Amino acid sequence: MDQLLQHLLNTLILGGTYALLGIGLTLIFGIMKVVNFTHGELYAFGAYMMFFFAMVLGLDFFATLVIAVILGVALGALIEITLLRPLRGANIDTTMLVMIGAWIVMQNTEQLVWSGIAKSINTPFPVEPLVLGPVSVSWVRVFVFVVAVLLILGAQLLIHRTKLGKAMRATFQDRDTAALMGVNINFVYTATFALGSGLAAAAGALLGPVFVVTPTMGNLAALKAFAIVILGGLGNIKGATIGGFILAFVEEMGAGYVSSGYRDAMGFLLIIIVLLFKPTGLFARAERIG
Amino acid sequence: MKTALLCLWLAVLLTVPLWLTDLYFLHILITTGIFTIAAMSLNLLLGFTGQLSLGHVAFFGIGAYTSALLSLGFDLQLTESYRFAVAPKPVWLAFLAGIVVAGFFGWVIGRISFKVRGAYFVIVTISFAEVVRLVALNWVDLTEGPMALSAIPPFTFGIPGLWEETIYKKQPNYYLVLGVAILSYLVIRRLVLSRVGRAMIALRENEPLATSVGIDVTRYLILAAVVSAAIAGAAGGLYAHYVRIIDPDIFLFIYTVTMVIMVITGGKGTLAGPIVGGLIFGILPVVLRSFAGPEIQWIIYGAFMILIVFFLPDGIVPAIRSWWEGRVGPLAEPEPAELSNARPAERQAE
Amino acid sequence: MSHWIKAVALTLSAVALAAVPQIASAQETIKIGVNQPLTGAVAASGNYVTNGARIAADELNANGGILGQQVELIIEDNKSNPTEAVAAAEKLIVRDEVPVMMGAWSSTYTLAVMPKLMEYEIPMVVETSSSGKITTQGNPWVFRISPTSEMEAKAFADKIDDFGIKKADFLAVNNDWGLGASDEFRTMLKENGVEVGMVETMSADAQDLSAQLSKLKASDADTLFVTTAVEQLTLVLKQAKSLGLPQTIITTGGSQSPDQLIDQAGAAADGSYHLLFFAPWFPEAAPNPEVAVQFVDKWKERGYNFAGLTEGFRGYDGIMTIAAAIEKAGEAEPEAIREALWDVKVEGVNGDISFIKQGPEGMESGQNVPAVYVVKIENGEIIQPSF
Repeated sequence: MDQLLQHLLNTLILGGTYALLGIGLTLIFGIMKVVNFTHGELYAFGAYMMFFFAMVLGLDFFATLVIAVILGVALGALIEITLLRPLRGANIDTTMLVMIGAWIVMQNTEQLVWSGIAKSINTPFPVEPLVLGPVSVSWVRVFVFVVAVLLILGAQLLIHRTKLGKAMRATFQDRDTAALMGVNINFVYTATFALGSGLAAAAGALLGPVFVVTPTMGNLAALKAFAIVILGGLGNIKGATIGGFILAFVEEMGAGYVSSGYRDAMGFLLIIIVLLFKPTGLFARAERIG
Repeated sequence: MKTALLCLWLAVLLTVPLWLTDLYFLHILITTGIFTIAAMSLNLLLGFTGQLSLGHVAFFGIGAYTSALLSLGFDLQLTESYRFAVAPKPVWLAFLAGIVVAGFFGWVIGRISFKVRGAYFVIVTISFAEVVRLVALNWVDLTEGPMALSAIPPFTFGIPGLWEETIYKKQPNYYLVLGVAILSYLVIRRLVLSRVGRAMIALRENEPLATSVGIDVTRYLILAAVVSAAIAGAAGGLYAHYVRIIDPDIFLFIYTVTMVIMVITGGKGTLAGPIVGGLIFGILPVVLRSFAGPEIQWIIYGAFMILIVFFLPDGIVPAIRSWWEGRVGPLAEPEPAELSNARPAERQAE
Repeated sequence: MSHWIKAVALTLSAVALAAVPQIASAQETIKIGVNQPLTGAVAASGNYVTNGARIAADELNANGGILGQQVELIIEDNKSNPTEAVAAAEKLIVRDEVPVMMGAWSSTYTLAVMPKLMEYEIPMVVETSSSGKITTQGNPWVFRISPTSEMEAKAFADKIDDFGIKKADFLAVNNDWGLGASDEFRTMLKENGVEVGMVETMSADAQDLSAQLSKLKASDADTLFVTTAVEQLTLVLKQAKSLGLPQTIITTGGSQSPDQLIDQAGAAADGSYHLLFFAPWFPEAAPNPEVAVQFVDKWKERGYNFAGLTEGFRGYDGIMTIAAAIEKAGEAEPEAIREALWDVKVEGVNGDISFIKQGPEGMESGQNVPAVYVVKIENGEIIQPSF
């Protein structure tokens, strides 16, 4: 029983970060119809920025977090303007190839700059965990969870309560009509990609200190983000949030009670099963974002 | 003129081991050849049917693992009472079994993934390869997991019972790979120039239209997937018995990406494209190695991919062809890709 | 159809030109191949070992080289992957024509490379790997200076009572090293009347281990043996702390670098014990204090990370062993070096290095019997545990 409670707590904490990873990707797909292969690299970028500013330059942990996210947003905007804007209207396979190319360039640049050796980031949180009866969790993970939930809620608010969000939703529904109604499509696209990238960088910046930072850390993160997004239905933010928690649950229970080695396989098996029976995802309301 | 050049080209390929004495470079040519075969098989899906299958390395790996495991033999305790043991089989038999098993998985994945298109298709195929990798990594009793399958026997050559030669040396391995490459090329050429190939291209260009004129889309797609997977499996088998060690990293996405780069650089949907692309990206690492680390090499690969999509979306082969035609006039035998006028990228572009 | 043929022919001839062998450098050197993980999951350790090898080579060259020739290390990255380890070995042997190699850190990479040693008849000194399989499968080209997991387990046997172990669980990386070590320790513990509980595994690149640790937390064992590389060990210690694991953690394998653990896991490393093959905090206590002290000094002089010393010494000892063999052989030829390795006696950082025979008769591999130490981390300091 205690073990089950611990697994459930782990699921909750892990699910929050998975959801954060998923919504950035699903947002970009939903609005831009781009499968963003650089998602995992933006995640790694966030973690490396965290390492650079906090450990190399010795800045404050929380200030660094903000800097890492802002830089992630800037890098996302740069990618959108240089690589995706010229391909506006090209088919989805073409943009996918470009994004794969960008992914390879980014990952190997990280390897070149930071070397293949894992980096570790210290946090200001106490080492003694938060103990709740039979279960416990480290303070840094509680912090990560809270920030992740706040970011997810913030993204929701942005989409539903702001003018930019309205333009994004309009573009999602019908790009051409939105353009005719005076929505600046280029701006919406850049903003969307930058926002999605910022969320990925935030996830990396938050999880970098929990784990270790390596140049290939983005690969697994990207694959998991794909799994989450497929579970929730491409372009569905609520679906991605729930998908994040489902993936965390399946992984945690699979590792706890079936086989720890197959932990990462659980998610992909889930994708294949979901696509077999419900190809548009568990929460097929892809006609609307949010 | 054309025949003469073709003969020259074949003569060059056939005599390589005679004038190239540097074993290291021959080694590079052999692995290049193996990846070129895999790229040719991917081209069948990517270029001719227009399906961006990003799990292709799974078939390569399945072919490699099947062939390696059968030639090594294995002994599995499946349940308390049921044991599944296979004695080591001759390498040729294992190699053929690898092709069949890879083809079978092509069929299964075809059945599953062709239900969906676009981004979903891409993600299903990636997920498939990742699941296979994780199975290879964790089913330690069968695959040795991260410890790798080592001491895989090399190919043997000769008549069973009378005279047999084990192929350790690079020269015979080169000819073996070359032979399989030529055979694969002929199979693919035969397929795409046939009625089946025309149907594939028709559905790549306009799927609804192809369906409405009575082309059974899924059937042709699955046929393409099976042939493509089987050839990739053959490449995997060659790899396993040449390198003689395989580990689950063989299923990494990066190898699929390598194949994709080979295909799109050379020219997707052309017969010669993957060969040109395969040679370029098989040999480029050697040229780069002397002055750049592996990271630089991959950065160049990635940049290449972006540049090709931006500036040469059809790849090198069609570009050279149109340049040639502009000077000399149309070629006698069009490549299958030119049977229809519009290319998908142009059609969907604004 | 013809134009592409031309294009390809052009490419091919261009490449053929590039493949013309470079003119050999005027000064002949003795080449030693080094096959280490410089990138990937266990890169930190591989780089430390390589640094140790560099110190040895520079020391040899400063003293006039071997047989009057300068030593040249040819270092290849095996990218923390067995297939790449084989490719690196192939390159070292065929391309660089090295007469002897050192490698390949992990048991898995070493086992992968071993058939190549047989094929090309090149000796290799194994500096880190501990799987029993390496020296028992009948490969006469393998000479190992690191201890096997079995030796390590046996050395631990008389400490069981000090620790008061009643029941033990295991968490191991799922490769030859991790699984082999947990097997050997399990056997040894059972023989000594200790109950053995769960064996949990993790893949080498896994970062979130909370599921495995939650499972172990529910166990009633008093001790947890962990075998994995230092990067993952940091994660294990941190996550074990946050889950409130009650067991005493003992790490095996000698690749733990307690300094790095203190640095990266902080207080989460407190109370853990580590089996090591070199204790650089107390070099005076080593069997060859002079060698150990001067090695530690050189390491510090170069500004290498102190935490890497527990790995770096292996590279130093490995290259020194090879150098002694070449010196003894009188020529840098594979077969002569192999013969000479049987007779070397080197005063290494770990202790005296010499090889005993292991494996099937006529095909024996060489095995050294090294020293084993236990250290404890307490309040962010490394101490010799007092029982």
